[in-house]
Amino acid sequence: MAGEEHGPPLTEAGEPISEAEALRRLRQTDDQSLQYYAAWWLGRMRSRHPDTVPLLRSALRQRQPRDPGAGVEHNAVARNAARALGKLGDGGAVSDLLAALEDDDDGLREAAARALGELGALEAVAPICARLASGLAGAGAPMTNSPKLQEPCEALIEALGAIGVADPAVVGVIEPFSGHDRPLVRSAAARALLQLTAEVRWGEVLVELLEHAQLQVRRAALMDLGAVGWRPALEPISATLAENSLKLIALRGLVEQGSGEPGLEALLGAMDDLL
Amino acid sequence: MTDPFASLPPLIEAVEQADTATALLAATTRLASHLAGGNPPAPAAIAALVQVLGFNNPGAAVAAVDGLIACGETAVAPLLDNLDAHNYGARAWAVRALAGIGDVRGLELLEQALGGDIGPSVRRAAARGLGQLRCGGLRAEERRGVQERALTALEAAAGDGEWVVRYAVVVGLESLVHDLRPETDSTERDLRERALQTLTQLSQPDEDTTVVRLRANQALGRLAPAA
Repeated sequence: MAGEEHGPPLTEAGEPISEAEALRRLRQTDDQSLQYYAAWWLGRMRSRHPDTVPLLRSALRQRQPRDPGAGVEHNAVARNAARALGKLGDGGAVSDLLAALEDDDDGLREAAARALGELGALEAVAPICARLASGLAGAGAPMTNSPKLQEPCEALIEALGAIGVADPAVVGVIEPFSGHDRPLVRSAAARALLQLTAEVRWGEVLVELLEHAQLQVRRAALMDLGAVGWRPALEPISATLAENSLKLIALRGLVEQGSGEPGLEALLGAMDDLL
Repeated sequence: MTDPFASLPPLIEAVEQADTATALLAATTRLASHLAGGNPPAPAAIAALVQVLGFNNPGAAVAAVDGLIACGETAVAPLLDNLDAHNYGARAWAVRALAGIGDVRGLELLEQALGGDIGPSVRRAAARGLGQLRCGGLRAEERRGVQERALTALEAAAGDGEWVVRYAVVVGLESLVHDLRPETDSTERDLRERALQTLTQLSQPDEDTTVVRLRANQALGRLAPAA
C-alpha cells in the first residue's frame, strides 16, 4: 500500500527530537535502532538540512542482518534511508537508489522502487521493467520458502505508474499482472495502468476490488484509487466497508490528483460525512 | 396493544452471537434500523451497539453509530461510561456517535479528545462534534459558554500535525459559526470573528495540505454575508 508511514520502533507517537539530534543519531553507527528512527524522522519532517541527504545516502549503503532483539527488520537502516530519500525529493539520491534496486534483499529493492517512484526517476523505468519482464511465471511467481513473490511486484509496478512513462512497452510489461491470482497485485497493476493509459476499464477493476471479501484488499484498492485520483469512484469509495480514515485519504486523492466530475462540492461533502 | 420491546430480544441476541464479520454487520444493521425506525431505545439495545464499536468491524461500527445517534440523548451516558482507554478505534466510533448526538454533556470529552487523544481518527471526530453541539435548549449565557469552549478547543487544534484533523477543524468551525447569532449579541459577534480568523489562516498557502485550504475557502465563501 502506498502512503504508508513506517513508524519508529522506539516510541509510539514519535518523540519530539530536534533536527540536530536526528542528524547526530544518523551519523553515529553504534546503535542502529537510533539510526533507524533518525532516518524515519528526517523523511517524515522533510528535513532540508544540507547534511540530511548525504547522511541518508551513506545510510542507504549500510547492510545488517535482522536483529530480533532490537525489534527491527533486515537492513533496517538502509530501508528507512531509502524511504526517507523518496520523500525528500532530491534527485541526487537516484544513483544510490538505482544501486539499491539491484540488491539481493527484496525488502530493500521494494523500498528503493517506491522511493524512485516518488522521485519520478525516469532512469528507473528500464531497470524496473527488466525486473518485471519475466511476468507471472517469473517475477510474479511465489517463492518456494516464503509467501513472498520472486520480486516485490506491487512496489515495482506502482513505481512505474508514479513515474508515468506511458510507453507501450511499459504498459505491456505491467498488463499481465492485471491477471495475477493475488488481488493486491491486480490492484497495483490496475492503478499503474489507469495512471499510464487513463482507460476507464482499469478504474473499473479497482472499483470491483472495493467489494472484495478481504478488508486488506479493499484497503489497497482505496489507496490505489486515491493515488490516481479517479473521481468516478466517489460513490463506491463512500460505500465500501473500510475505515473512514482510509476513505478520507482516498477522497483527498480524488480532490487533489483528479479532475472532472464529480466536482469539488460533491467530493468535499462526502469527506465531511466521513469525519 | 403490542409491546414495543417484543421484537428486540432476538435482534440483540443476533448481535451478541454473531460469529462472522458478515453476520455481525447484518445483525447490527437490523438492530440499528429497528431503533432508527422510532422504536424506544432500550438500554440492552444501546449496550449491544456500544459493544460493537470495539469489534474492529468498520461496517458494523458504522451501523452501530447510526443506531446510537438515532437513540439520541439516551445513549449519551452509556457511551461516556464505556469509553475504551486501550482501543482508539473504538474511542473514535464512540466520539463519532457523541458528535452525531450533539448533546452538551459530551463537551468535556470532545475537548479532551481533540486536545489530547493519540488517535487522529478520535481527534477528527471530536473536532467535527464540537461544531455541532445542540445548544438550542440552553439559556443564552450557557449557550455562549459552550460555544466559547468549543471554539477555543478548535482554535488550538488548527495547528494539529495531521491534515485530517485540521480538515475536521474547518468543518467544525463552519458549523459553529453557522449557529451563532452575531446580529443580536456582541459576544457571539466576537466568537464569529475569531472563528473566521482561524478559517482564513487555514485557507492560506502556509497550510500545506491542498484539500484543507480548499475546504477552508469553501467555508469562508458560505459564511460570507450575502452581497
